[in-house]
Amino acid sequence: MPLRTVAEINEKIDRGQVTVWTVAELKQRVGEWGIRRCAETVDVVTTGTYEPMEASAAVLNIGQTDPPLKIRQAWLDGVPAYAGFGAADLMIGASQPTEAEDQERGGGHVIEALVDGRAVALRAVGYQTDCYPRASLETTLTRETVNQFYLYNPRNLYQNFIVGVNGGERTLYTYLGPLLPQLGNAVYASPGALAPLMNDPDLTWVGIGTRIFLGGGEGYIAWEGTQHFPLQKRLENRTPVGPAATVALIGDARSMGRPWVRGCYFKHYGPSLMLGVGVPFPVVDETVIAACAVRDEEVVAPVMDFAIPRRVRPSFGLVTYAQLKSGRITVDGRPVRTAPLASLHLSLKVAETLRDWIAAGRFRLTEPVAALPRDRTFLAQDVVG
Amino acid sequence: MKKRVTLTFPRQVVQMPVTYRLAKDFNVAANIIRAQVAPNQVGKLVVELSGDIDQLEAALDWLGQQGIEIGLTSREITIDEESCVHCGLCTGVCPTQALTLDKHTWLLNFARSRCIVCEQCIPTCPVVAISTQF
Repeated sequence: MPLRTVAEINEKIDRGQVTVWTVAELKQRVGEWGIRRCAETVDVVTTGTYEPMEASAAVLNIGQTDPPLKIRQAWLDGVPAYAGFGAADLMIGASQPTEAEDQERGGGHVIEALVDGRAVALRAVGYQTDCYPRASLETTLTRETVNQFYLYNPRNLYQNFIVGVNGGERTLYTYLGPLLPQLGNAVYASPGALAPLMNDPDLTWVGIGTRIFLGGGEGYIAWEGTQHFPLQKRLENRTPVGPAATVALIGDARSMGRPWVRGCYFKHYGPSLMLGVGVPFPVVDETVIAACAVRDEEVVAPVMDFAIPRRVRPSFGLVTYAQLKSGRITVDGRPVRTAPLASLHLSLKVAETLRDWIAAGRFRLTEPVAALPRDRTFLAQDVVG
Repeated sequence: MKKRVTLTFPRQVVQMPVTYRLAKDFNVAANIIRAQVAPNQVGKLVVELSGDIDQLEAALDWLGQQGIEIGLTSREITIDEESCVHCGLCTGVCPTQALTLDKHTWLLNFARSRCIVCEQCIPTCPVVAISTQF
């Protein structure tokens, strides 16, 4: 039975009468209050995550120079940027390593510096033509001196992920950080039941055009993410048993700031970007509350052995996020220490910040303009011939 | 037993093959954690010495006789609160659970008294928030 529409929620936001809870607050109270009473009371539930999302990038239009320049190659603080668009357009990827030696930096750090308002050195080589005569450009850029600066992230907000362990004999340096030999540690990367898309397992309340918290500013869901895999096996509560749905996100980077956008580096793996992303769910009916009530005891992830460097790695089976967050799981009959890679502290803070924005009337909800695909298969690249 | 020490070498002792003498004369294994040695300069070595307790003591006495200054407390691990994002990745590699996450706030806790300065957390931190200096 419908309780309220998104338009009615926005009217409440405008009048300052909206009731917003974070998903953590909801999970805590729903046991006592029951789904029905929560659904009648709460208009919006906010979710958040803060984790490395290497499939992130910034788009810059630097503003044309005089005489004009058609950029063929460019580096921002020594990190190569892609210039195969318009003459003054650049894209810098979070996981692009620097070309400077002995530096553990990359695109993620350049994006962080620009977001923070720090100056970044640009070196650009031009493709001289009759309309673009300039041969090169060296200057410094800040977010205030470039014409446009926004994030466009092809894959963020993984709906669940894996747990990495190492059954081998030497330390492995992975995108989950160092994995110690002989099952020395286990690393999980999703905040579990707090993860935004774990609370909307079938992508019912989010879609293309959904306004979100992105890096401390406002952003939008732009498209399905790369490797979007909604057909992943699911539990009875519809949450996936491994990596599943993903989304592409977009947002004005000038509205973003610390600590929500941070460059990071994984030893012997490479650079990445830690990003805070928050998604609000309009409580249009009781099913929203029922889905958001899912607990860490009820969501699982597969434990994968990184000692086998293949696309499909052997699994030690499923563990719950409650076990992962307890600090210890059992793998192959042995106790193994767990550590998160997502910041659970900042994940909670994202949801709280978004809650406060909505309650203060500075963030309104949107209805999706189109649904995200729910039945997309995954095609792997199997080399033929 | 194991003992972690910081050795400061006067300039004239830098030429001496100290770890070789420790192994040969005292059967003490010296695992070098950090080193800063150059010809004709004061050198520093952080080593974890392991061996029989009496031989360890004898080795330390001998080091003292060579004019090598022995510091039992090496530098401490420092966490930059401004930089730390509380991801907790370091808690999985910390052998003594000096680094833990608070189960309610999920903030990183550092119990300095439990830290053995193994420094495994330093390269693990993705945002370079953990450091130690000579």
